[in-house]
Amino acid sequence: MANPCEVLCETTDEKAAFAISEAAAAEAFRIERKFSRYRDDSVVHTIHANHGATIVLDEETSQLVDYAATLWQLSEGAFDITSGVLRYAWRFSEPQNKPTAEVIRELLQRVGWHRVLWARPKLTLPDGMEIDFGGIGKEYAVDRTITILGDSLDVPTLVNFGGDLRTAGPRPAAGAWQVGIESIEAAGEADKLIKLATGALATSGDTHRYVEIDGRRYGHILDARTGWPASDAPRSVTVAADTCSQAGTFTTLAMLQGQDAETFLEREGVRYWCLR
Amino acid sequence: MQLKKKSVLGNAIASAACSLLGALPSTHVVAADATVPATAPAKGPWTVDTALLYYGESDGRVKDKSLRMAIQRAFDEDRALSIDIAVDSLTGASPTGAVPSDVPQTFTRPSAGGTYQAAPGQLPLDDTFKDTRFAIAADWLQPIGEYSRVDVGASASTEYDYQHLGANARLEFDFNQRNTTLFVGAAYGQETIDPVGGAPIPLAPMQGVGNSSSKLGSDSKNVIDGLVGISQILSRRSALTLTYSYSQQSGYLNDPYKILTVVDPVTGRPVAGPSPGLGLYLYDSRPDSRARHGLFGEWRHAFDRDSMAVSFRLMSDDWGVKSSTAEARYRWNLGARSYLEPQIRFYHQGAADFYHSYLVSGQPLPQFASADYRLAQMNAVTTGVKYGRRTGVGDFSVRLEYYKQTTQSADPKIGVLANYDLVPSMSAVIVQFGYKINF
Repeated sequence: MANPCEVLCETTDEKAAFAISEAAAAEAFRIERKFSRYRDDSVVHTIHANHGATIVLDEETSQLVDYAATLWQLSEGAFDITSGVLRYAWRFSEPQNKPTAEVIRELLQRVGWHRVLWARPKLTLPDGMEIDFGGIGKEYAVDRTITILGDSLDVPTLVNFGGDLRTAGPRPAAGAWQVGIESIEAAGEADKLIKLATGALATSGDTHRYVEIDGRRYGHILDARTGWPASDAPRSVTVAADTCSQAGTFTTLAMLQGQDAETFLEREGVRYWCLR
Repeated sequence: MQLKKKSVLGNAIASAACSLLGALPSTHVVAADATVPATAPAKGPWTVDTALLYYGESDGRVKDKSLRMAIQRAFDEDRALSIDIAVDSLTGASPTGAVPSDVPQTFTRPSAGGTYQAAPGQLPLDDTFKDTRFAIAADWLQPIGEYSRVDVGASASTEYDYQHLGANARLEFDFNQRNTTLFVGAAYGQETIDPVGGAPIPLAPMQGVGNSSSKLGSDSKNVIDGLVGISQILSRRSALTLTYSYSQQSGYLNDPYKILTVVDPVTGRPVAGPSPGLGLYLYDSRPDSRARHGLFGEWRHAFDRDSMAVSFRLMSDDWGVKSSTAEARYRWNLGARSYLEPQIRFYHQGAADFYHSYLVSGQPLPQFASADYRLAQMNAVTTGVKYGRRTGVGDFSVRLEYYKQTTQSADPKIGVLANYDLVPSMSAVIVQFGYKINF
């Protein structure tokens, strides 16, 4: 998942702690193997290798596609799992010039859930288009890991996959886990602390992935309809929700709101923390 | 993108997540803000706190540029040595206590080596005011047993006409599971005053150039201070401190550079003094002891992100000066590393029993009299803001303050005095740069 993943257990039972972390690691690796865009044995790779032919997806992949389709609908097309090809216009890791309207227009020809035929479990992805579960996969992995650990887990546990996290088992002795939100100014330092007794937190931040064009800052979350990131979005958005998937969805939708992120979260009535 | 209404979106996401995950958890999220604890990075034994301060009064009056440095060396077992060094450079002109008039006034400089003038309508200011002060203090702090600490120190300062030597001690005791701290302190100071031209005889008249018949040599005073106080932690977020202090000064307490004008009971102009060309100006005369009681209370409260402190101080002394100070500071933490701290302070004091803006010719001379504006009735407001930033190479801060003082004269304005402000208002700006580093 290209992110540091960790499992925290509050117990003196070393065996139990190992069992929990092994189970979590196994599930994390399974999901990565299955949905990674970078592996040639993944479902995603198989879909792309089909070059426009209809493919029958397994139950789990179908559920993820369904989820993505719902988000596409709820965001009116702003969030789109087919928007991955826009990365050819946007490199968030190095300085770049403004992508030309032409380049964006051409790439947008290969973006759009409306071009996809989805009749669960049959998927027809036009050749040249790509699917990327990056926007929802990590949160899904956290939620899945919690499911694997089960309701009967008697050790207070926190599953943290690259900043998207969720509690499992009973509450820790202190009553809550203390979660720091990474500073937007100094990597590795916490600007805010959140006490999470139970539930999930997801954070979407541009601390390491953003570009500055004409003095405006653009985060890495792209609006699939325009091919551009929303400008003036918060540097970091954290949302608390019952599950990591819900929290992550809110952070993504908030980022797509740009400067109206806080207004959006406020209106949605979710618990959130924005850093600007 | 147009977003759907709240419940629709929240419910739709929940329902989609439910399909994705098979079920939603039976418990709902419980998350709250927590305060970022003051991160204590690996602390070195040395702390150096430096401040460069500029204080400038309006109308070209006193200016003080000072550099302060506090060096602390921590040792094992919570012991520490602190050395504080301060260098001040004072320049400018200070009101002498004499009142303005509609005639030019001539004054002899304190050295008796020359004169200075005040034009009609002008507040007499002694422009020879210039001094450099050097002060040093050392303190040793160490625990005694598990619940108490002792701090002993010594201090010295020197300026052109003034020397100070002092010693101090303070004891602190924690109890009530360290929620309560009781402290007692005492200090003794010995001060020598060697005024330019000699210490004037109280209420003696100002003499002409070269005439030192109203002056004696140097003089001295001593100061004993005592305090007792309690700090109480009220809750996880708030703490209260109450302190009672007592100070007893004895010896030479006059200001050797302050004078009072003796005015004509009808015209309000200075009457003629013993020296040709000089009006009658009498030197400051104050009691040779002063006992002061003070009560100080401070309440501090931490919010989720910010914190604030409110304090109140009451002082009363046997010179009749009663003062009260109210202060509030709000620390607005902009992030984990920077803050903005606005503050406001109100000060009120009543005049000393023997404060007079001037004396009237023909009336019996009081035993004590001073026209020092610092003993007049006054109100002052200080507003300021401090910005601080913690970086990898130390903590930086800058503080800006504006001080506005209004003083009231107690005496009726006789004759020409009616045209003048006898104790003019004053304002000052304070700029301070601070830098603190631990290594």
